[in-house]
Amino acid sequence: MHVRVLRSSALFLALLVPAQGDLRRELEPFLDQHCYACHDDFDNEGDLNLLDLEFDPQDPQNQEIWQRVFHRIEDGEMPPKKKKRPAAPALEQFLKTLGSPLHHADRADLARQGRVHARRLTQEEYQYTMEDLLGIDLPLNDYLTAESGEGFDNKAETQQVSHFHLDGYLRAAGAALDEAFSRALRGDEKFSRDYNPQLLTKRRGRGNPRGPELRNGKAISWRANLQFYGRMNPTIVPEDGWYRVTVKDIEAINPGEDGVVWGELQSGFGHSSEPLLFDAGLIEATQTPTTKTFRAWIREGHILLLRPKESGKKVSRISNSGTVDYTGLNLEKKGISGIKFGGIKIERVYPNATRAEVQQRLFHDLNPKNYRTGGKTPKLALRRLVNRFANIVFRRPVQLAELEAYHALVLKKYDESKSFSSALKTGYHALLTSPRFLTFIEKPGKLDDFELASRLSYFLWKSAPDDRLRKLAREGKLSEAATLRAETDRLLAHKKSQRFLKSFTDQWLDLREINATQPDPRRFRSFDQILQLSLIEETRRFVNELVNKDLSVTNFLQSDFGFLNTRLQRHYQVPKLPIKPGGGIQKVTLTPGHRSGLLTQGSILKITADGSVTSPILRGVWINERILGRHILPPPPNIPAVEPDIRGAVSIRDQLAKHSTQNSCKSCHAKIDPSGFALENYDPIGTYRVRYGNKKSSAKVDPSGITPDGSKFDNYHGWRDVYLRQPDILARAFASQILEYSTGGEIRFSDRAVLDQIVQHSGAEGCNHGLKTIIHACIASPIFQHK
Amino acid sequence: MHISTRKSLSRRAVLKQAGIALGLPFLDAMNPAFGASTPVRHKRFVGVSLSLGLHNPFLVPKDSGTSYTPSPYLKSLQDIRDSYTVISGTSHPGVKGGHTAESSIFSACPREKGSNKANTISLDQLMAKHHGHETRFPSLVMNTDGEQSPCYTESGSMIPAINDVRKLFASLFIDDSAAAKKRQQEISKGGQSIMDIVRAEAKQLKREVGAGDREKLDEWFTSVRELEKRLEANEAWINKPKPKVKDRPQPADRNDASDINRAYLDTMFLALQTDSTRFMTLHCTHNSVRSLDGVDESYHSLSHHGRSEDKLDQLAIVEQAVIDRWADFIRKLKGADLLDDTMVMLTSNLGNASSHDNRNMPVLFAGGGYKHGQHLAFSQTNNYPLPNLYLSMLQNLGMEAESFATSTGTMKGLV
Repeated sequence: MHVRVLRSSALFLALLVPAQGDLRRELEPFLDQHCYACHDDFDNEGDLNLLDLEFDPQDPQNQEIWQRVFHRIEDGEMPPKKKKRPAAPALEQFLKTLGSPLHHADRADLARQGRVHARRLTQEEYQYTMEDLLGIDLPLNDYLTAESGEGFDNKAETQQVSHFHLDGYLRAAGAALDEAFSRALRGDEKFSRDYNPQLLTKRRGRGNPRGPELRNGKAISWRANLQFYGRMNPTIVPEDGWYRVTVKDIEAINPGEDGVVWGELQSGFGHSSEPLLFDAGLIEATQTPTTKTFRAWIREGHILLLRPKESGKKVSRISNSGTVDYTGLNLEKKGISGIKFGGIKIERVYPNATRAEVQQRLFHDLNPKNYRTGGKTPKLALRRLVNRFANIVFRRPVQLAELEAYHALVLKKYDESKSFSSALKTGYHALLTSPRFLTFIEKPGKLDDFELASRLSYFLWKSAPDDRLRKLAREGKLSEAATLRAETDRLLAHKKSQRFLKSFTDQWLDLREINATQPDPRRFRSFDQILQLSLIEETRRFVNELVNKDLSVTNFLQSDFGFLNTRLQRHYQVPKLPIKPGGGIQKVTLTPGHRSGLLTQGSILKITADGSVTSPILRGVWINERILGRHILPPPPNIPAVEPDIRGAVSIRDQLAKHSTQNSCKSCHAKIDPSGFALENYDPIGTYRVRYGNKKSSAKVDPSGITPDGSKFDNYHGWRDVYLRQPDILARAFASQILEYSTGGEIRFSDRAVLDQIVQHSGAEGCNHGLKTIIHACIASPIFQHK
Repeated sequence: MHISTRKSLSRRAVLKQAGIALGLPFLDAMNPAFGASTPVRHKRFVGVSLSLGLHNPFLVPKDSGTSYTPSPYLKSLQDIRDSYTVISGTSHPGVKGGHTAESSIFSACPREKGSNKANTISLDQLMAKHHGHETRFPSLVMNTDGEQSPCYTESGSMIPAINDVRKLFASLFIDDSAAAKKRQQEISKGGQSIMDIVRAEAKQLKREVGAGDREKLDEWFTSVRELEKRLEANEAWINKPKPKVKDRPQPADRNDASDINRAYLDTMFLALQTDSTRFMTLHCTHNSVRSLDGVDESYHSLSHHGRSEDKLDQLAIVEQAVIDRWADFIRKLKGADLLDDTMVMLTSNLGNASSHDNRNMPVLFAGGGYKHGQHLAFSQTNNYPLPNLYLSMLQNLGMEAESFATSTGTMKGLV
C-alpha cells in the first residue's frame, strides 16, 4: 500500500476502517461460498481471479475491480441465476463490509485530488469562448485537434494534450486575433450581389453549367441524379466568410403528397476535382411562392448549388453523358418535381458582433482615434488593457505580479515594432495560449465563486463567464443558493443556452454518429439526406422542449407530443396531423401509437442500428447506458460476436438464444437484450415493421421479453410501462449524464447518496422528475460544486 | 517498450555539437533532384492500415513457405511475388476491443475501450523521433476520412491525421505565398516567445495544484518542449523552396474507397521520392464504394457480411481493389529503386471484421531489403506476436531497440 499524506478529514475516516488484512478475512467466507467456484486461479472466468486478489482500495486499479464486484453482486447479476442465491442477511453484510472501505477510499481520493483534473477547453468551448471574447465569427475548428470521441468531449480523463493541441491553440488564437484586429482597425468586408434567373442559368462559354433551367423568367432546378447538378456558376464568393443568402419566391413544381418538394442549398467548388459540398440550408418548396434567407459560412471561390433532393421521386433525364440540355423538354408536364425560384441575393454578414462591439472588446474604453497609437501614454494603455483582458480570460482576479511576463513581452514588442496594436495583439495572443485560459485548474475541495462561475457558464453557455457572473463572483454572492438558482435560470433563458442543449443532446444521444452507417440503398429506398437532417432536428427540438418546459423524464419513453415536418410525417406514417407544408419542424399532439417519446424517434433507432440490420445487443447496450443508467462492461476476451444472418431465415433472436445459453453470457445479456428486443419492431431507419423482410416467408418480429427485474412484456409498449412505473431510474440516469457533462468528471462509487438526493428531490410532489428541476438539483449538489 | 537510450542520446548530442539542431535541413535533403535517388540511402517506413480488415479466407494462402499457392486476393500480385511476404497467424498480444483496437495498430499497446490507461508510442513515431529530423516533415500521419489516427506520441496523445489529400499535396509541393510565409515566420518567431511564457505559467501552476492536475500539467511541459522544437525547425524550412513534381495525382473518386487510398498512395510516393519525409502512415477508413462495378452497399455494411454470399462477393471486389492499389504502390517504389529502402506494411486491427475479432491480423509486408517471396504462417489459434515484426523493423532502421511493446524478440523467419 502507498503511504500518502492524507487530508485530516480523510485520515480520520481512514482510521475508522479496520486494517485491510482483517477486511480481506472478513470477506473470505462469502467469496469462498459464492465466487471462487468460477473466479479462482484455475477457472479465472471473465479474467477475474478473486482468490488471489488483494484488497487495497488505495490502489486505483484494485479499487476499480472491487467496485465492480460490489456492483455486480448488488445488482443480483452475480452469483449467476443458476447458482445458489446467498441468503439476504449474508448478502447485506458482505456488501456492507466491502462497500464501506471502498466508499471511504473513494472519498479520500476525491478530497485529496478532486474529481476533475486540469480539464482543458474542448473544440466547441474554444470556438464559443473566442466568439464571445472577441466578437468574431471565424470557424476555428480547422486549426484545432479533434476530440478523442470517447464519452463527452470534456471528460478530463480522456482528454489529451500534445504539441499538436498546443500548436492548434497557438494558430487558432493567431487567426482569431488577426480577424478581430482587422475588423476593428480596417473595417468590415462588404459584399452584396443580386442575381436574377437569367444570370443564374447563364451558360458561360462552351462549358457545361449543369445549372437550373430558365423558363418564363424563373430558374428551375429539377429532380436529377447528375452529380453537381443545380450549380450556379456566377454565385462565386470573393473570400471566406458568413453570407446571408436570400432565395426569392421559392415554389414547388409537382410536389409530393405532402405538398412539398424538398431540396438542399449547398456551397462548394462543384466539380469533380474538388467534390466536397457544404450544407447551406434545407429548402422546403411549396406551391405558395416564398422567399427564404439562409446564413452560411462559404469559402473563397465556392459557388452555390440548389437542387431537389428527395428519394422516391421520378428522376428526370436531362443529361446526355453529363451534358445538361433542356431543349424541347417540358419536364413539368412529364411529372418531374422541381424547385422554381426568382433569383438569389448574397450578402456578407457578421452574425456575432458589430464592428463597434469588436473594437470595444479589444480596446475597451480607449478613444477610437488612439487605437493605432495608444494615445499619449501607450505603454500605460498597453498594461491597462492587458490586465483587463487577463481578468476576463483567466476567469478570476489576476494579481499584477502574475502578469509581469506578459507585460514584458508586450513592451518588448512595442519597442521593436513601434506598433501599439501589434504589441497589444501579441499580449492577447500569449494570454489566449496560457494554460490558465485553456485549462480549468482548481484546488481540491469546494469551488470558490470564480471557479463556480466558470463551471456554470461553461455548462450552460459553453463559454467564459459574462460580466454579471464575474461581478457576482467578486461579491462572493454566486455561491448563495438563491443567487445560483436565479443565475441558472438566467443562463437557461438566454439564447446562448442553445449551445448547451445542442452540444449535450448530440453527445448524450450520439446524434453525431448518425452518419456512421449508410442504410443499404436497395433495402431502404425511402432514406435520404432530407430525412436524416429532419430526424436530427426532431430529436434536438424534443429535448429542448423537455428542458425548457421542465417536463418529466418519462417523456423519454412516452409523450403526447412530438416535433415533425411533412417529411417525417410521411416517414413515420402517422395519420392526419395538422402539419403545415413549408412550415419546418412543428410541435404536434400525437395520439397513442407506434411513435411516442424519445426512443421511437428515427434518429435514435438509426444510430443504434448498423445500416442494414438491427441488433438487440447494440440497442440494448445503448438504452442501458444512456437512458437507464446501467453501465455495460465489454464482453470478456475471445467471445465470438453474434454474426447477424441477413439471409432472413434465422431471426436474430434465435442466434442470440444460442449465444445466451452459456451461463457466463447470460448474466449480462439478461440485462442487455430485453430493451433491444422491445424495439425490434423498428428497422434500421426507424420504420415500423412486423417482419424482417418484405416476403410472407420472412421471419416474424418478436418484440417480447422479460426485463431484468422479471417483468414480462409483449412489445415496446409493455416494456415501456415497466419503466414508466419507475421514473426514479430514468431520473437518476439523466442526472448522472448531466453531472458528467457539466463537470467533465465521472460519477464515482461514493456518489450514491448525492444521486439519491437529487432523484428524491426531483421526484417530490409537483416536481414530477422534470428535466430542468434535475438540472437545478445537479447544480445545487456537492458534485457540481466541488473540484 | 524499452530502448537503450544511452547510445541514441549521445548521437543526438553529437548532432547538436555539429551545429545541426533538430529538424534543420541538410543540404542534400533540401534539394533532391526529381527522380534521382539521394546519395546516402536512408531507410523509410510506410504503414497502411485498414479499419475494416481483410477477409481471412480470401487472403491467407493455404500452404506456407516460398512455394505457397497464391490465395484469391494474391493472384494479381504474382509479378511482385518476390517483393513482399504474407504473414498470417499474428496479432498484438492483449489487444482487444474490435474497432477500438484501431488505436493500437502501430503501438501494439494492450488497452481497452473506455480505459483511462494512456496509449504508448506508435512505431512510426518512435522511428520519426530518432530519424525524422532530417526531412521537412518528421512524419506524415494520414487518414482517408477523418482525423483519428493509429499514431501516438510518447505521452500517449493521438496524432491528428491529415485527411485532405489536396492539402497534403499542397503542403508537400506547393510553395506558400509570400504573405503566408511571412505569417508562418511570425507564428514561428512569436510562438517561441509565447511558449516561454506558457512554460513558466505551467511551472507556476504546478506549484498551486493537487496531484491529479500536476500529471496533466506535465503533459503541458512535454508539449511545450516539443512544440518549441517544431517551431524552430519550421522556421528553417519556411523559406526553403519545396521540391517540384511534374504530375499531380489524379483526383479520387469519392465513391470508391480504394481510389481514395490510391490518391493518397500516389502522393505518398512523391513524398518518398522527394525525400520530404521518411515515415508515413495511412489509415484507410472511407466507407463509400458504390462506384466499384458490382458493388452497391457501403464498405462497412459489407464487412458485416453475416456470411451472406452476395455480400461476400461484393466485399471481395472491394478488398481486391484495396490490395491492388497497395500493390501498385509497391510496383512504383520498385520502379523508382526506392523499395529496398522502404519497409511497407499493409495491416488491420481486425482479423475478422464480421465478428470484430482482433486476432489473426492481416499482414502484407514489402521492401526494406528483406528476402521476401514467402508465406510466414503462424498458428491461427495461438497467434505469434506481431510486435516482433515491429522490433525487426526498428533494428532494420539502425535503432538499437531491444523490445517494442509486448515483443518477445525479432520476427521469426524474416530474413
